[in-house]
Amino acid sequence: MSPESDLGRNNTAFSELLDRSMPADPEAIGEVVDAISETLARLEVPEQKRFEVALAVQEALANAVVHGCGNDPSKQIRCRVNTDPRGRIVITVTDPGPGFDLDRLPDPKQRENLHADHGRGVYLIRQLMDEVQFEKNGNEIKMWKY
Amino acid sequence: MGPAVDGLRQTMEEALGSGDTRMVLNLAEVSMIDSSGIGLLVRFLASAKQRGGNIKLVQPNKFAIQTLKLVGVLNLFEIFDNDDAAVESFV
Repeated sequence: MSPESDLGRNNTAFSELLDRSMPADPEAIGEVVDAISETLARLEVPEQKRFEVALAVQEALANAVVHGCGNDPSKQIRCRVNTDPRGRIVITVTDPGPGFDLDRLPDPKQRENLHADHGRGVYLIRQLMDEVQFEKNGNEIKMWKY
Repeated sequence: MGPAVDGLRQTMEEALGSGDTRMVLNLAEVSMIDSSGIGLLVRFLASAKQRGGNIKLVQPNKFAIQTLKLVGVLNLFEIFDNDDAAVESFV
């Protein structure tokens, strides 16, 4: 099955599906995730893919709230959802923070990290999405679902 | 992350604080577990086990199971189809 056929009929041209800004408040995350899930459901994206995208977005927004904005609700996070010309879903989350060093992230599946209470977000994003890029020193994440 | 995780954290802290180290968590109504929820579960699982207890999960949906598996912690937990079986497993 081609990537395009996975996304239903409305997928042949580059298009913006959603562009939301939210305060850096954990309680604002759910509304954005729900809006993305509803948008993908309208495009007839299968449930498994909707779940994977929703969890990846949840993790990216949570990272932006905590690490990008220091839990400061006066700061804003932007989340955009597009389809590219090949019909792939592209999600971009941008925060105003200083970014971070990807090389310093722990491997959450190492034995000594299994009981850690943090450090799984970026790992999960990479497992759930087909392609992930960090830009602007890490304060912008771009994620593709084919 | 957010109110749901905060509520669970408070409940589990209170339970552990009052000496209840054997817990059953029914996840039937949980549509998604994120990394903060997983972090909470494994941290309290370690605390409970250190005190001779355990945390057992009931009816996690397929997405919760997938997520726990993805990060390598699924096999830390015992999973049951219903509350009674989970409670009886402590006996």
